[in-house]
Amino acid sequence: MADESILSDELIRQLIAVGEVDILVGLPTYNNAKTVAQVVQAVRGGLLKYFPRDRVAILNADGGSKDDSPMLVQAASISDARNSGPLQTLRTLHCISTRYAGSPSAGSALRTIVSAADLLQAKACAIVSPESDTISPDWIDTLLRPIYRENFDFVTPVYRRNRFEGMLVTNFLYPMTRALYGWRIREPYPTEFSFSYRFGNQTLNSDFWHQDPGQNSPELCLTMAAIGGGYRLYQAFLGPKARVEQAAADLVVAMRHTVGTLFWSLAQNSTSWKDTTEIHALPSTGAEYEVTTDSVRVNRKRLHQMFCSGVAELEPVLSSILAQQTLLELKRLCTVVDDQFHYSDELWVRTVYEFAASYHRAVISPDHIVQALVPLFRGRVYTFLMDNRESSESEIEQHIESLCQTFERLKPYLLELWATGQGGS
Amino acid sequence: MPSKPDAVWYRDAVIYQVHVRAFQDSNGDGIGDFIGLTQRLDYLEQLGIDTLWLMPFFPSPLRDDGYDIADYYSVHPSYGTLDDFKAFLNAAHQRNIRVVVELVLNHTSDQHPWFQESRKSLDNPRRDWYVWSDTDTRYRGVRIIFVDTELSNWAWDPVSKSYYWHRFFSHQPDLNFDNPAVREEIWNVMKFWLEMGVDGFRLDAVPYLVEREGTSCENLPATHGVLKELRAKLDQQFPGKMLLAEANQWPADLIPYFGNGDEFHMAFHFPLMPRMFMGVRLEDRKPITEILQQTPPIPDGCQWCLFLRNHDELTLEMVTDLERDYMYDEYARDRSMRLNVGIRRRLAPLLENDRRRIELMNGLLMSLPGTPIIYYGDEIGMGDNVHLGDRNGVRTPMQWDGSWNADFSAADPENLYSALILNPVYGYQVVNVASQQRSPHSLLSWMRRLIQVRKSNPVFGRGSIEFLYPGNHRVLAFLRQLGNETVLAVNNLSSAAQAVELDLSRCKGHILIEMFGRNLFPRVGDLPYLLTLGPYQFYWFRLRKL
Repeated sequence: MADESILSDELIRQLIAVGEVDILVGLPTYNNAKTVAQVVQAVRGGLLKYFPRDRVAILNADGGSKDDSPMLVQAASISDARNSGPLQTLRTLHCISTRYAGSPSAGSALRTIVSAADLLQAKACAIVSPESDTISPDWIDTLLRPIYRENFDFVTPVYRRNRFEGMLVTNFLYPMTRALYGWRIREPYPTEFSFSYRFGNQTLNSDFWHQDPGQNSPELCLTMAAIGGGYRLYQAFLGPKARVEQAAADLVVAMRHTVGTLFWSLAQNSTSWKDTTEIHALPSTGAEYEVTTDSVRVNRKRLHQMFCSGVAELEPVLSSILAQQTLLELKRLCTVVDDQFHYSDELWVRTVYEFAASYHRAVISPDHIVQALVPLFRGRVYTFLMDNRESSESEIEQHIESLCQTFERLKPYLLELWATGQGGS
Repeated sequence: MPSKPDAVWYRDAVIYQVHVRAFQDSNGDGIGDFIGLTQRLDYLEQLGIDTLWLMPFFPSPLRDDGYDIADYYSVHPSYGTLDDFKAFLNAAHQRNIRVVVELVLNHTSDQHPWFQESRKSLDNPRRDWYVWSDTDTRYRGVRIIFVDTELSNWAWDPVSKSYYWHRFFSHQPDLNFDNPAVREEIWNVMKFWLEMGVDGFRLDAVPYLVEREGTSCENLPATHGVLKELRAKLDQQFPGKMLLAEANQWPADLIPYFGNGDEFHMAFHFPLMPRMFMGVRLEDRKPITEILQQTPPIPDGCQWCLFLRNHDELTLEMVTDLERDYMYDEYARDRSMRLNVGIRRRLAPLLENDRRRIELMNGLLMSLPGTPIIYYGDEIGMGDNVHLGDRNGVRTPMQWDGSWNADFSAADPENLYSALILNPVYGYQVVNVASQQRSPHSLLSWMRRLIQVRKSNPVFGRGSIEFLYPGNHRVLAFLRQLGNETVLAVNNLSSAAQAVELDLSRCKGHILIEMFGRNLFPRVGDLPYLLTLGPYQFYWFRLRKL
């Protein structure tokens, strides 16, 4: 049974008014007034276009925005109590907003939405990012149809990205998830996704909601739960991914949320990933990947410098995490001039696996382990940028595929580290 | 005649629509007649209705169930004689039941002597009583109403070697209302029946009386001119009589039929009816409240006529494409149920014989603003037969009991004007008046009670309406008010139990009295008024400040 305590009395009152629905679209917000109106209009357009006969609602879980985010969502309601203009709709469309308790967190927002979807018996629920200003109404159909019409349980997206965007996904999350769990999920940490009533109902009881990974990166936890729980997965191409400007310092937070959560999940799902040997493609709609080759300004030199200074400064920490040979190779890389710098696939995978094993062994605090990986990741990004400067779309994909295969080939190495508890030099 | 004449009696009326042919056969020829109808007036009186709407009973070749009139001054011999009609009329009036006669003004049968003369020659005095043309290209673009049977609004007449205009079937030529002689003759027809004592007319197909090039030939100012002329004569010579318009139009286009209170007294609210069905299926009040929001106010003394089903198909002309597709898919998945732009089914089968939904729909019919019309047989939940062709499936004999021919006729079954409903769910052995009269819990008994409660309070017929818009969109709640009298209606459109909070702050201090059981409900206080409703349940509360 769902834990209902997260839902306020006021939200319950609103949910009573909404009643049972076929489809719920969740929109977590926190000061997103710049983009959320555009997003909610696209969501509404998609619902009216593709699900005009079905009982649908939009739920905004807000973290206490100081701007007008909740009001902008509510304004998209269609009801008989207000003049909605010349829209031709069969039904009332409730767009409701709730301020969840506590400080802003993705986990609280998502748990509120998943709980509401459960209470409303929503057959399909989609989560949409309030920052996705590239969204079109078609996304709603693409996300929801596999769940609502075809009985899939969890739909992850594929986006059209610039070749040098999302490198944490292409160089770490996608290949490692694929190698460990055997599914080609391009976006394991999605900003848009959808899930079935069955999945939402069973996931509500998960422990992760009460732990840091569930609070900080619930989307990734849900993906892991979908994989680990044997649910029917689906992958859908949406379109261009919205570009959200991030400061360099955000990388630490981002890695804590992605790397930290994935490492954390290995212990939770060890029975699931250890025995996986085959790699499966997901049933899907649209392109499996799409990249654009527009130029992006990246300060490669600084990446190289940060790698070198990081390895030097963190050597004592790294020595407790990495195998001696791995650390030696990294230190050697610090000695070469930048145009000869090459952080190979194999070295990167070994680095990651040794970090994962150390995280499991808790040689130092989990946060410190993840932070220690940050400069190394910058080095890897440097290599990725250099390798793909002149690459075409398909060549970039080949490079990513090659990295994935390296992750898969070296998986026995992780299993060995995991089993023997070996690690730092 | 009713003892207390009231100029706006029709606002309080509960109308029962009946076809003489279908109600009771007194002479065993298999066809209902006026003597039979007279014999059944006690039943109608007990039901509680106070007005009868008779579908066309005039001499006719019956190629359109009497809507193809061949003589406006007589009674079809199958239904009896003019004297039989007079006797029926008197008997009805003795029971305080008014009688409204349906007249088809727009067209006649092609067998009508007027048309036979008109087609004879170009110089016949009645030539100009119909709309003739040398070509079939005039009034191009005017929509065809019976799209399933007609390809054009023009038909070739081989006798006079020219085309005649018909908005309905090709055997129903349109009268030419630009001709003063036609208008005069139509008034003579109305006067004939009014002098006999009928209480009003339901005028069929009124938007189409006059044609003009370059228009839709519907709702034209000249048509309103004709109708105003008839109304003026009616008021002058027969005050207290009523005109009811059949104009299947959007609310804004219907308003002109009330004129400034100088055209029709009443008009059917066609767009509301399909939206009531839609609202219950969608479990959402939006279609109902939306169409009523779009309905402009009508002049004092005028009234909407509301209905759930009638002798025609459930028309879907006054809905959007999206709504029409939805209605077809939800109420007529079997394509044989579809006819023209509508669904040819009775109330009970449309609602899957769900007693709760039938009650809810009748509750809405009786409580929304307007005068309700009950189609014969729907008060006992009669079924239909889509295999009978055209709209005949909803015009089968009234089911009085489980005996021979449902006690409708002593004729051999094969001689009945129509087959009876025989299936195990709606057949006359199961669904009939006699069996339902024996049970206080039958639909018939419940309908009697509903009508009784409706008639107990004039607020339903004459009061204003104000929607409450509670957050729960599955609940349709509104206040009806007339002077100091206030009634609250709360309807659960959904198949599941619902909780609803109503903002009754303006009624603070009032006690709610449930009108069917007369039980008291808590006084309205400062907080929103919380009610729970079972599936498809509705409440009518009288609000009293004591």
